Amino acid sequence: MANTQWVAASAFVEWRDIPGSSVSVTRRDDLTMANLGVFEGQSDKVLEVIRSAYGIDLPRTPKIVTARGTSFLWYGPNQWLAVAAREQNRDLELELEPLFSGVASIVDQTDARAVVEISGHRARDVLAKGVPIDLHPSAFKTGDVAITHASHIGIVICQMDDNPTYQISMFRSFADSFAEWLFHSCEEFSN
Amino acid sequence: MRIQCPCCGERSLDEFTYYGDASVTRPNAFAPTAMSDYHAYVYQRDNRDGDHRELWYHAAGCHACLVVTRNVRSHIISDVRIAREVARERDAAALPGSTS
Repeated sequence: MANTQWVAASAFVEWRDIPGSSVSVTRRDDLTMANLGVFEGQSDKVLEVIRSAYGIDLPRTPKIVTARGTSFLWYGPNQWLAVAAREQNRDLELELEPLFSGVASIVDQTDARAVVEISGHRARDVLAKGVPIDLHPSAFKTGDVAITHASHIGIVICQMDDNPTYQISMFRSFADSFAEWLFHSCEEFSN
Repeated sequence: MRIQCPCCGERSLDEFTYYGDASVTRPNAFAPTAMSDYHAYVYQRDNRDGDHRELWYHAAGCHACLVVTRNVRSHIISDVRIAREVARERDAAALPGSTS
């Protein structure tokens, strides 16, 4: 029998790279993601589980915290999105599920959301053309998260570093629509 | 108009959906007076000058339902609270033996 290795297809089909050095865009097809939804009245317990397993406090405001190779994004009141690189076939749903029996639901989001990273010194200008929130460093800093929209597509945006690098995720089926807007927005900064 | 979401911070109107009057409570459909209660609930709305309490849903943000107190003459928003908490307080106050 043939040894078949299944490789997930990227959600971004109509993809191209942006020439030049002022802004770069990267598909992040290498992530595993899971949604953590707290059951009624169990939020203290959930915070404690994360504290003992990862040594961090889950953010109660729109922030991202990272520990032991796993990031937790604030994803709404009493909700978080866990994100990690899928190295060694990691699967966050399988990792988190046993920790939260009876206190929270863990739902795999790996193939539900498409993720892209935009970085470079013009990244902010590229995003400003479609993202309605203020991304100026005085208002949105490294570690900040916002649930908003870009060009009418619902996104979760997160600033990863001071480069700046922004990680943006959206529902998978919107990936190419988002990318089309992104490429148009990048055009004036490419050379 | 911009709304100060308690979860997300100040966001523009296009992230929100209007969900109606926050000052009315859906009546019990099984009460003997249900017919007249629902008539009042659906049709008899005041259009007062000044502050209105409105439900706004943060559809493109944190998905929280908010109770927004907005002055319909000046559009000044004086208070925004998470609707879930407002409803909990209302229900707790309605319980028999409650002090409030």
